[in-house]
Amino acid sequence: MKLQDVDVAVIGAGPAGMAAAIKAKEAGAENVVIMERAEELGGLLHQCVHNGFGLLYFNQDLTGPEYGHRFIEKVMDTGVKPLLETMVVRLTEDRQIGAVNIREGYITFKPKSIVLAMGCRERSRGALNIPGTRPAGVLTAGTAQRYVNVEGFVPGKKIVILGSGDIGMIMARRLTLEGAHVEAVVEILPYIGGLIRNEVQCLHDFEIPLFLEHTVTRIHGEERVRAVTIAKVDGRRNPIAGTERTIACDTLLLSVGLIPENELSVMAGIRLDPVTGGALVDEMRQTTVSGVFAGGNVLHVHDLVDNVSWESELAGESAAKFALEEKPQKQGEISIKAGTNIRYIVPQTISGQRDVTLYMRVTEPEEMVRIKVGDIMTKGIRAVKPSEMLKIELPAETLKKLKDGTKEIIVDCEKRGGK
Amino acid sequence: MSQIETEVLIVGGGIAGTAIARELSRYKVDATLVEKGVDFGQGITKCSSTMMCQGSNTLEFRSEYHNSRLVWAGMPLMAPLCQELNIPLKRIGSLELIKNQAGMRRPEKMIRRFNEYRGKYIPPEVEPIQLIDRETLRSWEPNLNKQFIGALYDPNIAVNDPVRLTIALAENARQNGVNILLETEVLGISAGIDTFDVQTNNGSIRCRYIINAAGEYIGKLAQMANADDFALYPVKSYQAVLDKKIGGLINHMVFTTENGMVSPTIHGNLFFGISPGTQRLGKAHDHSTDQKLADAAMKHAQELVPDVSAKDIINSFVGFIVFRNFEIGWHECTVGVSRWVPRFINASIGFPGICAAPAVAKEMVEILTKNGLRLEENPEFNPYREAMPDFSELSDEEKKKLIAQDPRYGHVVCRCETVTEGEIVEAVKRGARTLDGVKFRCRPGMGRCQGGFCGPRVTKILARELGVPETEVTKKGGESRNLIYKSKELLEAQQ
Repeated sequence: MKLQDVDVAVIGAGPAGMAAAIKAKEAGAENVVIMERAEELGGLLHQCVHNGFGLLYFNQDLTGPEYGHRFIEKVMDTGVKPLLETMVVRLTEDRQIGAVNIREGYITFKPKSIVLAMGCRERSRGALNIPGTRPAGVLTAGTAQRYVNVEGFVPGKKIVILGSGDIGMIMARRLTLEGAHVEAVVEILPYIGGLIRNEVQCLHDFEIPLFLEHTVTRIHGEERVRAVTIAKVDGRRNPIAGTERTIACDTLLLSVGLIPENELSVMAGIRLDPVTGGALVDEMRQTTVSGVFAGGNVLHVHDLVDNVSWESELAGESAAKFALEEKPQKQGEISIKAGTNIRYIVPQTISGQRDVTLYMRVTEPEEMVRIKVGDIMTKGIRAVKPSEMLKIELPAETLKKLKDGTKEIIVDCEKRGGK
Repeated sequence: MSQIETEVLIVGGGIAGTAIARELSRYKVDATLVEKGVDFGQGITKCSSTMMCQGSNTLEFRSEYHNSRLVWAGMPLMAPLCQELNIPLKRIGSLELIKNQAGMRRPEKMIRRFNEYRGKYIPPEVEPIQLIDRETLRSWEPNLNKQFIGALYDPNIAVNDPVRLTIALAENARQNGVNILLETEVLGISAGIDTFDVQTNNGSIRCRYIINAAGEYIGKLAQMANADDFALYPVKSYQAVLDKKIGGLINHMVFTTENGMVSPTIHGNLFFGISPGTQRLGKAHDHSTDQKLADAAMKHAQELVPDVSAKDIINSFVGFIVFRNFEIGWHECTVGVSRWVPRFINASIGFPGICAAPAVAKEMVEILTKNGLRLEENPEFNPYREAMPDFSELSDEEKKKLIAQDPRYGHVVCRCETVTEGEIVEAVKRGARTLDGVKFRCRPGMGRCQGGFCGPRVTKILARELGVPETEVTKKGGESRNLIYKSKELLEAQQ
């Protein structure tokens, strides 16, 4: 396959990219390439050696590498061409890709369509602006996960974890199993940032202390972390004077949020949603640049890989269709807007012509709620949490109830009964 | 334990020490530079802002100040120096913002003073400063707070990377014969009749002259030789680097005397910091940041450029300056022979260190000559230093060519800053021994993810190039290892 003949180019070979590439191929695109900066396909799945993957997609409880392996085999079987150790460094509005690798050097080509599947990165210490010294031993949880599970190193012996995101809680358990002592998991919010199952299986089962409504207010130590000071926070998340306590430790892990990796998207002039940090997309997962699609964590941060795969399959299928038809598709014309207690919704626009699944998150936890999609649909849910993504299916049948000329649908999450 | 002899011993591998070492390498002189850390410019040089030429604001200093003379003399030296050392310097110009009519008085006074000093203290190649009105200000800086009615424009202000400059100076000095010893800390000094015996952790050094360029440790070193005829105070401020995606928000360095400054950096980021002020903050050697200062700095920066936001901060650090005694003019520097100990020369520039350094180095040659050192020109002196390759700055054709020569340039290790394995290997070849050493030479980990992705990869390359296990790779020397144990090591220890 010559690069000049590529129909669909997928950027990133994590779960999103693999699912998109396979689906693009299955949907009829002949020449599909998947471009990956690392040495192998699979992305972060290799370092996620814990289980809990594939419960929805495969109806099986798999580890990350097992889940990844199924897709890697399929990539190979379907004849998708992997371009490994290849870093895409440029993307233009007219879909020109510039990339480098050690074999071909600097390569440029223009595929018929593109799927963005670059995933996300972790928020760092710098972004949090934690005061104190700047010693070694401050790592993001995902970087620590790579060290422990892939590289074969343990960063330290006495660990404090800031943030209760899933990777943070999973690393609390992982490091405990490696013989380290996790002194505390510190979360600024009144509730945990990750999934309940991780709170139970990773923290409670290992008797790891969890400090809700607390934050790290200072890092100590010149060369290596010596201790951190934590304090209780008030309703506005400001530390309360007099509540500080200093915990001796040699490592601080950060699990304080993930940010979609959209530098290439911005380079290509793709418009982003300020809330998700990902591209604005329609129900086909097409971005604001014609022929460029996106799926998975580059679009919005998911909590389950199963949803990443599904969403990216949609993006891959749409990209194949675009490449085959070679005619620009219009973005959907009806905006989906976040209303009461809804933080964001993907896709941001729909056509109203097809079945669509709305992926959304709430702003605040709440029990006994009703999700209202404009005035065409309501759905009762027992409990909602910001950490657990909601999926609302909107069949084309239901969308027919929309009045002609509808430009906007507001989605609200209201407390039921209100009594 | 070794024993070495040298004519001139320079203590400190910051901007002052390396600039002096490089200047001395123009002459046939046996000079040695010792630095206690693993790398250059990791003390207060690292804590300085990116501003390279102090212009109009130094007009506030009294003309008889030694410091003023050094700053002004240094201004025309910086550009040619950067050119010789092959590191980028970008003239961006500064705008001292004016809030109201009453605020016009200061700039007017500055302009009068500038005209008076020009040709006398200020070299003729320095461009004049001028007032610009509200409309010009708006058109130059559309993202600036609309409240400002004009500005004092100084076209001479430039930015570069102070640590890179320091490293380049050290490289060039070494190339021209200066003996450089890292991880060598001075522990004691005994003064003989015409020599000093200096004890270090790596043996002793006998020398005739000592140049004390120990930065924030200048007082401590002077004390060892009983040459502490001055008082110094550390002053701490706060500085933050913002994401490149908002790098274009401001084109000039903008500041007010009370708000601190916002400026583009040489690398295309945005940078803000509060002016250190005269408050005596911080303890010596304490480089920790502080929430109060951070909040104040952000508030001030937003008063200048409202779109600056905390969510774009990718890193923050302390600004740290060692000032001379407040009572006798806190802006004054301490460059000269100790009153008590002959041939012991102090070189503390304080504010504004970086841009005065080239002039300090030149002056040091005079001081040494006056104090009996015979300096004969070194005919083999080569002022040029080969640039570090910067893959991200190359054209497509140049990229292709470089990768063809060395495929390691086709391996992008750091996504945020597009840094390749080739550059990291070159940085190690040129002396990087730590993760910070690599980072300050070619920037992996300086971007928005702060090494989240490239950290493990840089560690691996560094370990391979240095021939040590990854558990011995440090962030900045000493005990600053990021990885302490191998897998299962802790479990085995428990059994």
